[in-house]
Amino acid sequence: MMRFRKRFITIFTTLLAAAPSFLLAQGTTVAAERSAWTEWLATAPTSPYLAVAQQPIGPGVTMGPDSADVPLHGVELHRVTASGTVSLTGPTGRRALPRGRAVRLGRYMLVAGGPAGRAVVTVFDSSHARGAPAFYDIDPAASYTGRLQPPDAPSTTRLLAPDGVEVEAALAGTVAVPVADSTIRLTVMRIPDPGSGEATLEIYFRDATSGQGSYPAGRFVELVPQADGRYRLDFNRARNPFCAYSSAYACPVPWRGNALPVALEVGERYVPIK
Amino acid sequence: MTPLLLLAALAAPPDLAGPWRAALALEGGSLPFTMVVETSDGEVRGRLCNADSCDGFSAIVSRGDSVIFEMADYAAVIRATWSGDSLVGSYSNVGNRGPRVIPFHASRGNWPVAPTPANLAGTWDATFVSGARTSPRVLVFQDAANGMQGTIVSSTGDYGVFSGHGTADSFTLAHFDGSFVYLVTGALDGDTLRGVFHAGLRTRTPFTAVRSTGKPHLQESTSLTVADTTAPFAFSFPEASGGLVSSTDPQFCNKVVLVDIFGTWCPTCHGAAPVLVQLWNDYHDRGLEIVGLAYEVSGDTAIDGALVRRYREKFAIPFPLLLAGVNLVEETAATLPQLRGFTSYPTSVFIGRDGRVRLVYAGFHGPVTGAMHERQVREYRSIIERLLEE
Repeated sequence: MMRFRKRFITIFTTLLAAAPSFLLAQGTTVAAERSAWTEWLATAPTSPYLAVAQQPIGPGVTMGPDSADVPLHGVELHRVTASGTVSLTGPTGRRALPRGRAVRLGRYMLVAGGPAGRAVVTVFDSSHARGAPAFYDIDPAASYTGRLQPPDAPSTTRLLAPDGVEVEAALAGTVAVPVADSTIRLTVMRIPDPGSGEATLEIYFRDATSGQGSYPAGRFVELVPQADGRYRLDFNRARNPFCAYSSAYACPVPWRGNALPVALEVGERYVPIK
Repeated sequence: MTPLLLLAALAAPPDLAGPWRAALALEGGSLPFTMVVETSDGEVRGRLCNADSCDGFSAIVSRGDSVIFEMADYAAVIRATWSGDSLVGSYSNVGNRGPRVIPFHASRGNWPVAPTPANLAGTWDATFVSGARTSPRVLVFQDAANGMQGTIVSSTGDYGVFSGHGTADSFTLAHFDGSFVYLVTGALDGDTLRGVFHAGLRTRTPFTAVRSTGKPHLQESTSLTVADTTAPFAFSFPEASGGLVSSTDPQFCNKVVLVDIFGTWCPTCHGAAPVLVQLWNDYHDRGLEIVGLAYEVSGDTAIDGALVRRYREKFAIPFPLLLAGVNLVEETAATLPQLRGFTSYPTSVFIGRDGRVRLVYAGFHGPVTGAMHERQVREYRSIIERLLEE
């Protein structure tokens, strides 16, 4: 096994020499992103650390008493149903569970998501213990800028987004990543974010650190558009799927072909769930 | 001055008051906007502006060498620290999958004003390309007191006021209101305008555009949403200030009714509100009723009610505003089953004196769209006058 970063240093010598201040700013941005991410995990009422259940709604999910599909302490019997829209019905009546919006139920928060017919509801418990994420050191040399090679033919596929919710993702193409003396092409998918109406270009990858310091199933990293039409692939931004923070989440299966035979000791590490 | 007072004076942060030329450093380009801060009686207030279109910060907190500009409505914040007489930090907002962070910096003063290059001013028919999908858009560029401004228009309305600058054959225009982060750049290549539209931090959409010929490029706003006209249009929702209001109430009987499907979070709805108030003032005595159906973010009556009441005060709205639901297209459609193809906020539903829908306009072209705005207002007046005559 070779360490990937060494190869990056060789390849990006010109970039390092040409733009040291830019790379410094890039490192600052990654540090600010990590700080915001850590704060969100530590404070948000829908922090992935607080997830205690993620349940397909199907014909309906009951919540509350011990006999319910999802037992919730101190909550009377409620039923989540989906028929186009998702709703929550309990002793005080029916209310909407708009997709992507957190709705309070006792000490819990509920968030519905997913496409019609395959909607899921995720339950967050405010009293659940939170962990804290860990990261490898920032390595400016683990940042790559290049072109996105469009696919030969458009296609879409259903896959799990980082939050374990199914989305219809479009094949965006591939990017070439230098490894040893050759390159490996990684598949890039365009993953919609239903909340913002935006879409991100994501790579879900495994490398030799998977299960050996980083999350076993793999990590996500986004492509960041540049002014000249190229994209930045900065492995310092690699982050865990939400199933790394709570076993309640469905975990995306590794994407075919997106395995790097090197140890990428950058980005987010894995802290096993206690 | 005692040593203690001298120390306090030295430690006091600089005065924030005044205009700031601010920018978000997207990797795809710098997104310029303006902040204006005012201080009076120890209170600090500020607003964030694209040209002369401004939104207020919900709070500005200055502590030590840090300044926090809060935009509570969007769960967004700018955190900065003083660097000499400049501010440096980051903007972040929170989505379902966690926070987003964009580097931010600001210097004192206003952005330089330059006239819009003549070869860019006007209206352009654009084709946005996202993967294998293409979508029609219209780009509007005009010269304003603050320099180059414009907007992007889809079949259902505009993206708000963009401001920026043009130089010879190229331009950069931006719209940042605390929630939406839009940057559009482009350059002339012969008669074709080629550019990129950045939405948020990660979404990049290339486009090409040619000068509008006058032929329709976008879908007609009246063809997107249709209504069941076999029965009177029915609605029944609580008013933001209390009781239930229904389409069968005496106040709507034998009246022409304009139902405005809107949200207080929706910038285009803000552009439409003064027009609706003017229409109500002009035609109410002749038999026009307007009712606003608010689709809000939280679904919580207390929170949404307060937002809608603030909206009513802001625009001095004289007609009822009802809490109808949450602002997701599918949720809205479910509360109004007589509409098919509901697609955008605002949507204007014109109802005749017999209670049946005559026409549905999806979206609204705000004042920044110029001739498109004027045409839509003219059409609204024409429809209302025709219905009043029936």
